[in-house]
Amino acid sequence: MSNIKRVAIFLVIIVAGIVIGASFKGSDVLDRAIILGLGVDSAEDGGIMLTAEVVSPGNGTEQVGTFSKNVTVNAPTIATAIQNVAEYTGKEASLGQCVVIIFGQPYYENVDFTDVIEYFINHHSLKESTVICCCEGSAKDLFNNGDALSQSVSLAVSTLMLDQAEKIAVDTNNLLTYARSQTELHCTGFLNKVKFVPSENKDAQSPDKTQGFFSYREYVVFRKNNYVCTLNEQEAQGMALFVKGVLGETFIAEMDGLKRTLQVSDKSVDQKLTDDGGLEIKIKLSVRLGKTDSEEVSGAISTKKKKEIDPKVLEEVKKQAQALAEQYLAKQAEYDFDLLQFHEAYRQKEGTNKALANKPTADFPIKLTVEVEEN
Amino acid sequence: MKELNFDKLQTVYRGQDDFRLREMDVGIKLKVVCLDSMCDDAKVASFVLQPLAYIRDAKTIDDIQTKLSVGNGVRKPPNFFAIIEDFTNGYTLLFDEEDNCISVDTRTVIGRSIAEPPTSMVMRGPREGFVEDMKVNLTLLRKRLKTPNLKTVNLTVGKYTNTAVAVCYIEGIAQQRIVDDVVQRLQSVNVDGVLDSSYLARYLDVSKTVLFRRIGTTEKPDIAVGKMLEGRLAIIVDGSPMVLTLPYLFVEDMQSPGDYYENSTMTTLSRVLRFISVIASVLLPALYVCMQVYNYQIIPLRFLITILNASESIPFSSLTEMIIVLIIFDILREANLRMPSAVGISLSLVGAIVLGDAAVQAGLLGAPAVMIGALSGIGLYTLPDNTLILSLLRLVVTLLAGLMGLLGVIISTLVLIIYLASMQDYKTPFLAPFTPDIPADRQDAIAQIPVPKMKKRPRSIPNANDERRG
Amino acid sequence: MDKNRVKLDQLALLYLLLITGGKFLSLPSLLAGDVGHDSWLAMIFSFLWDGICLCFLLWAIKLNSKANMDISAILDKSVSKVVSKILLAIFFVIFMLRTMILMSSCFEMFSITFDVSTNWIVYVIPIAILSFFAIQKGFNAIARTSQLLFGLILLAVIALLASPFKEVQFTQLLPIGEAGWGKILATSYLRSFWFSDYMFIYFVLDGVKIKKRVFTPMLVCFGIGVVITVLLNAVFVALFGSYAPDFDMAMSKIGAFSAASSSNGRWDWLTLSVWLLSVFIKIIVFIFCAYKCIEKILDKSFANVNWIVALFIVATLMIPMFVSTEQLLSTVILWGVIPFTLVQYLLPLLMPLFTKVALNKTEVKHE
Repeated sequence: MSNIKRVAIFLVIIVAGIVIGASFKGSDVLDRAIILGLGVDSAEDGGIMLTAEVVSPGNGTEQVGTFSKNVTVNAPTIATAIQNVAEYTGKEASLGQCVVIIFGQPYYENVDFTDVIEYFINHHSLKESTVICCCEGSAKDLFNNGDALSQSVSLAVSTLMLDQAEKIAVDTNNLLTYARSQTELHCTGFLNKVKFVPSENKDAQSPDKTQGFFSYREYVVFRKNNYVCTLNEQEAQGMALFVKGVLGETFIAEMDGLKRTLQVSDKSVDQKLTDDGGLEIKIKLSVRLGKTDSEEVSGAISTKKKKEIDPKVLEEVKKQAQALAEQYLAKQAEYDFDLLQFHEAYRQKEGTNKALANKPTADFPIKLTVEVEEN
Repeated sequence: MKELNFDKLQTVYRGQDDFRLREMDVGIKLKVVCLDSMCDDAKVASFVLQPLAYIRDAKTIDDIQTKLSVGNGVRKPPNFFAIIEDFTNGYTLLFDEEDNCISVDTRTVIGRSIAEPPTSMVMRGPREGFVEDMKVNLTLLRKRLKTPNLKTVNLTVGKYTNTAVAVCYIEGIAQQRIVDDVVQRLQSVNVDGVLDSSYLARYLDVSKTVLFRRIGTTEKPDIAVGKMLEGRLAIIVDGSPMVLTLPYLFVEDMQSPGDYYENSTMTTLSRVLRFISVIASVLLPALYVCMQVYNYQIIPLRFLITILNASESIPFSSLTEMIIVLIIFDILREANLRMPSAVGISLSLVGAIVLGDAAVQAGLLGAPAVMIGALSGIGLYTLPDNTLILSLLRLVVTLLAGLMGLLGVIISTLVLIIYLASMQDYKTPFLAPFTPDIPADRQDAIAQIPVPKMKKRPRSIPNANDERRG
Repeated sequence: MDKNRVKLDQLALLYLLLITGGKFLSLPSLLAGDVGHDSWLAMIFSFLWDGICLCFLLWAIKLNSKANMDISAILDKSVSKVVSKILLAIFFVIFMLRTMILMSSCFEMFSITFDVSTNWIVYVIPIAILSFFAIQKGFNAIARTSQLLFGLILLAVIALLASPFKEVQFTQLLPIGEAGWGKILATSYLRSFWFSDYMFIYFVLDGVKIKKRVFTPMLVCFGIGVVITVLLNAVFVALFGSYAPDFDMAMSKIGAFSAASSSNGRWDWLTLSVWLLSVFIKIIVFIFCAYKCIEKILDKSFANVNWIVALFIVATLMIPMFVSTEQLLSTVILWGVIPFTLVQYLLPLLMPLFTKVALNKTEVKHE
């Protein structure tokens, strides 16, 4: 190979390197404001007040632990609000690791937030599986409870909702399921309502510090992203009875003269349309006496155990469960919302049509049967 | 008048201190010459001088050849070229008055003794290794292959070094076509000298590959025999303990000498580990950089926060940081190889502890980057033959990942695989038996079945007889 | 060794990769936009037609196994040189268009999902270099690469498919055929541009090595490819429902549910990158075919990659800088459907006949 050719190849490689380096625009992770959670509230001027929990790395000496700070910005739209976060932090606002979106109470009760939901669902970086919920009071206040929890609020809320909810009889929603519920068929869906519950401070070193935990047992119902009503804890538990994967409902009944707690450890929900156009729902609960820390292996394929629950007690539980479920159905009929996909059941038979979509939930003839057995 | 061979020899070696000439009368006048530096004095005395002292009635040089038969090798070199070759090899030459010549083998034996080769130590299995002496090496092979089918083709390569080369193969297993091809290639080698077998490896590489090693090397006779039994050829070069084997497959680099002396399940497990570690070594730094520069979403959140905490104060970009780590690792390795062993040990410690830890402490490099660089560097050693080239490739892939993100990683991976897949020497695809897929050879590729169940020779290597016991 | 010779098994695996590669970028959302949750049915119809054509093409391969004629030889001898060149020109257009669409979908995926934003030229050139490097190394190397990677890619696709399974309610695909069977059939015809991946076989006809079975390996791979593709599409529409038409990067969205916990990171993107290897292999194969088209149109066979042809192909690939993908697609549907159908669906049916005619003519010549 002649020297000229060698030089030419060398030059081409160098030039190619420079061109590629200049043409591809990456953004180093250190130049990003990594948002862990977003809180949406109303601003005084009618716009949006957005609180973002942003990762704030330690100064290099402490290499473990989550360090975050809250940035609150006001803007007319959600997109500009996120842009403002970038402006305030001096880094590119990145939603790729956002784990939770929380709507503040004054905001969700008074504002149609369809545009916000549409923005999030069409956002390319945000995961559709992001946890979405609302809260008591403003989202900004909720995010300020980080010190009380000694951890990131976003991580705490998302972990609670993802890991624990299904075991303690609470149904939860992610961004996609919620967004779909607001645009399809009857257009109603729910979000969990997160509350900060303060607890007694026993920390002698910092007695003024607030301590507490989150509760999220209430649901807020929305139609086309407008507030409809709030389900209290009992109604929420009634609704959870209809949801297959959600377990852990507890019932209290007297047995051998003692108050005993019975826990749902397995459940089957069978929902089918009958020939006369009715909707038959069969809930079969398997309960056991609550006496272990962890979940017991249960279900049809586990070993049979010795029966220790009195049939009368099972009957009592059945009554309580039936009452809870009916309480929920009454609320559903009263406010005309459909969290249990009754409309979807009819759609699968009839296909999508306007008449079905607009049909009030109360008009569906529902036949509910609850069965309780010992696991 | 034609110049006599003896005179020519004398002219060539005029002034050389180790050129010894002695004239004797054994019925005819004889000139005995030898190269002192190459001959064993005792052999000269007992095989040449002593017998000659008792001969009085020789008439021709042929008589002397017969009478010197106590010597191991006595022969008549046919021409001056052969005379010179014998002379330089340590033979003692006897010339009569008519310039007829016979040569007597009086070569001195110098060289190290057989020992376990440092490049391929094994926990279990034979510990003998090849040495520099070709004769010993051939002995080591013959010792293990007691069959008349072990054939060698002897050649001399190198204009000045006249290095002896032996192409060994098992007749009936190796394909004659490949033997002929290799012998022809060796015969056509035109070079000043062959100092090591690796010189010849360059000439035997048909496709003149720039990157990957295409000819196998081994220092262990058991490995060489194992490979010959699968249809490969072993090429022994005088002066080199490295025996070449070919055709060579990529997968051979992943097979360690000890693999055949261990339980096949353990072997499979360790090969899988090697396989994973090689892929991880090449891709890990690239993916790490790529995730930092482009796809931070891939990193689990808590780990991401740890990375952020660790690298917040680093003055370099993620790409630069990783490239520095990789280059430092390569420098340490190179220095370690060249250092005297006593210093080498301390240097590696200094490198690892002082450089790595100090750099992290000083905030020059992030701890995760150092960890990934080190992990990747160590992982490469699971492929000993191609460590250096993979180390270079790792640098290129990392650079492309930093510049082009996942696009760079994907493109470079594909280029590499297409390149490897296209290589084929001596009718043997380099990536066989993975691609082209040779199902029969999966018995000893990554997974290994127990030796008694291996009834067929690998089809990836062209051979004349498929049955292992046939 | 002829660098373009390839075993039928390798061809089958490559075909499997071509089926799964590229159909999860923008196609699912387009189909969902057309026929909603019945899009998987539209896919099945397209594949059904593909299957029939594939069988005929395999028949042609079987007939051609001894003569090893290439596509232009067969067409020249059976339908005249002029028609042959016209068909090759259509092939060239179709391969270039498909490469462009595939590349631009990929470009979008990189810039939107993977945050790798760059300009079209710098994006195209490395891929073109990769493709021409592969062409230089020969189709054999491409086929071997796909053979090496297919297991990994298939695992990645299955992982992607399995990850959202818990979230998916397949009952949402009911009632079957809600969009109307006529509409579903029409959609499968109009979107046929994305299908008939077997077309690359035309350009390796002269190099296929056949052992015993011709149909089995190809049809098995075809079957696996169809099942995976249809299933992924069904998962996509069932999961995203009314939002499916808006999500034009199906594959990158579908894995979002793989993370059991939000803080797990998008590991699914690593599997996605593995799947992207098959998209790149598809691009390489299409460029290889386009390159071969030019070779055959010019009646030449280049030993090394001809840089003028290469430059021409690269220049053609710059078209998306001037015309948007949507515009390209609507033009394809408006003008291209009929000529494309000719080579995609009619030609394979006639291939056995053409091969037979060509064989007969060759024999007559020899006699």
